[in-house]
Amino acid sequence: MPKIRKVLVANRGEIAIRVMRTCKDLGIATVAVYSEADRSALHVRTADQAYLVGPPPSRESYLVQERILEVAKQSGADAIHPGYGFLSENASFVRACEKAGITFIGPPAAAMDAMGEKTRARANMIKAGVPVVPGTTEPIGTIEEAREYAQKIGFPIMLKAAGGGGGKGMRRVEGLGDFDSAWRSAKSEAMSSFGNDAVYIEKYLEKPHHVEIQVFADQYGNTIHLNERECSAQRRHQKVVEETPSPILTPELRAKMGEVAVKAAKAVNYVGAGTVEFLVDVHRNFYFLEMNTRLQVEHPVTEWVTGLDLVAMQIRAAEGEKLPLFEAPTPRGHAIEVRVYAEDPARNFMPSPGKIHALRVPSGPNVRDDSGVFAGFTVPNYYDPMISKLSVWGATREEAIARAKRALSEYVVKGITTNIRYLHGILSHPEFVGGDYDTSFLTRQHTELLGQEDSKLSEVALLASTLHAFQRDQKRAKTLPSRSGGGDSGNRISPWRLALKSRRR
Amino acid sequence: MRYFTKQQGQKEAVPVDLESLGQDRYRLTVNGKTFQVDALSVDQGTLSLLVDGQSYNVEFEENGDEIGTLVRGQVNRTDVADERKLRMRAAAGSFSVEGRQVILAPMPGKVVKVLVKVGEEVKEGQGLVVVEAMKMENELKSPKAGKVTEVFAKEGTAVENNAKLVVVE
Repeated sequence: MPKIRKVLVANRGEIAIRVMRTCKDLGIATVAVYSEADRSALHVRTADQAYLVGPPPSRESYLVQERILEVAKQSGADAIHPGYGFLSENASFVRACEKAGITFIGPPAAAMDAMGEKTRARANMIKAGVPVVPGTTEPIGTIEEAREYAQKIGFPIMLKAAGGGGGKGMRRVEGLGDFDSAWRSAKSEAMSSFGNDAVYIEKYLEKPHHVEIQVFADQYGNTIHLNERECSAQRRHQKVVEETPSPILTPELRAKMGEVAVKAAKAVNYVGAGTVEFLVDVHRNFYFLEMNTRLQVEHPVTEWVTGLDLVAMQIRAAEGEKLPLFEAPTPRGHAIEVRVYAEDPARNFMPSPGKIHALRVPSGPNVRDDSGVFAGFTVPNYYDPMISKLSVWGATREEAIARAKRALSEYVVKGITTNIRYLHGILSHPEFVGGDYDTSFLTRQHTELLGQEDSKLSEVALLASTLHAFQRDQKRAKTLPSRSGGGDSGNRISPWRLALKSRRR
Repeated sequence: MRYFTKQQGQKEAVPVDLESLGQDRYRLTVNGKTFQVDALSVDQGTLSLLVDGQSYNVEFEENGDEIGTLVRGQVNRTDVADERKLRMRAAAGSFSVEGRQVILAPMPGKVVKVLVKVGEEVKEGQGLVVVEAMKMENELKSPKAGKVTEVFAKEGTAVENNAKLVVVE
């Protein structure tokens, strides 16, 4: 297979820039696509070429397959990297790329099909002998059937959209009493988010950990795993903090889960980077949850502890190269990633788009910030609120936590509100520090994580605000013209106003 | 020079007396407690503050009369007014959640749902309008119990930051 010379990155924000950076490292040219809302975005300025694909809503720009392919042809790109989200798990797009003679940097369409719809993925995994959470393998037709099934496996249960992701169309149901309303809202949310209202039922596991395994495969059936990521710090089923190694995994359990993840990937003839997500219960039993057939947001932590560049590996795999290693590398040290969102945790995580007036990004030893923003950029209202991913490495977990907190304390974003302080709260919380936090951690500790005010710092803030007001007033007094002084700036009427007055008469 | 300050959650304004000692040095008195402060402006919007040998880097962000500060990761919002401003604002009924409250859009977005009508009695914390931004829905709540006297928000329309949505009196 020929070498890739030019890659169109069909995405925006930090992930587009992340992919372009590796392309440049490999001597590959890059093409950006952008919507009308993103003309000034960093990914446009990072790329060698850039093309407008449509109006701000992603449905009319980043998701328009024909337009993306048209740009690929126009720019002479021979490959497309989809990033995550948007078209990254769209099998029809993969087929369209193939038809157009463009290499899609990702798994084949058939593997996406096999893992895309969650009920089909469950059925495939059961067939392959992979343990799955008890539940239905088919979407349920009627509410009566659903109710009956839920009672059979016992509450609490989860209702999940078959075509879902990102926590949409997902409801936890405690008992029969709230079943009907949860069923209706899960279905309507599934319809509006995925155009498909199919919903299935899963047993809800108490206090589960979300642990996922990074897998990687070449085109010749060589498949390995690259260890796990602990992603239990979630809010509304969205990950907020990720780390590796997982503090709850033993080497034996890691090997066992890795083996199962490889089996799952092989069962669908997977190629490239993928992630098999598991729930681990209190007895350390693990169950297949779903497979993400793309590069994930949290891939940097795996890169920190393995020393690999996953994007480079994706490109090499797409070019037909063989895997450079044939077994999981032993994790080296510890890595943590936190997601910086444009949102206000104190106001129920209200989104905070708008102009970034000032930005100071942390640096120093073993700190990495994958960001898509800069001072002066207006964070648009149309896309996801994640603006940056801060990840760090430490020789031990304690060192990684301390470094992540240090880095967060250096982070300054002005103009919009971010969750930086909230992230600091998570990393300082005894439950997180203790290393045994489950998926309910953030919801359970909500108030505590918002952080108690330090009264000394509040006092300093009061002094500082007063000083700021004073200095501002002094400055204004100096720049404003004197009202009572002599010269022409007194209370005399301007000649312009006199002229206007006389004309009106 | 006397200023009146109010931090989030405080009911009454606190007077702060400020005296400039020259060369970036100040004496501030709050509730009978006096502080000697060295306040060096290092760039626009950043102050290096030395209080009793403790070093604080303070980042500022102004939003009208409200001054946002970031000190060692802690965000505070303080309303600061001098005596003249305080009198003006007392007359306008601001500086408190009493009186007429105008609920503004906290970010640009789209009005998805209007939950109240003119004339409706609402409780403190009751949802008034749902605005969607960055693919998420957010319910804006009433800051006080009262009566809805005006509704500007219309379902399905786009709103700018600080657009008037509802008035509760």
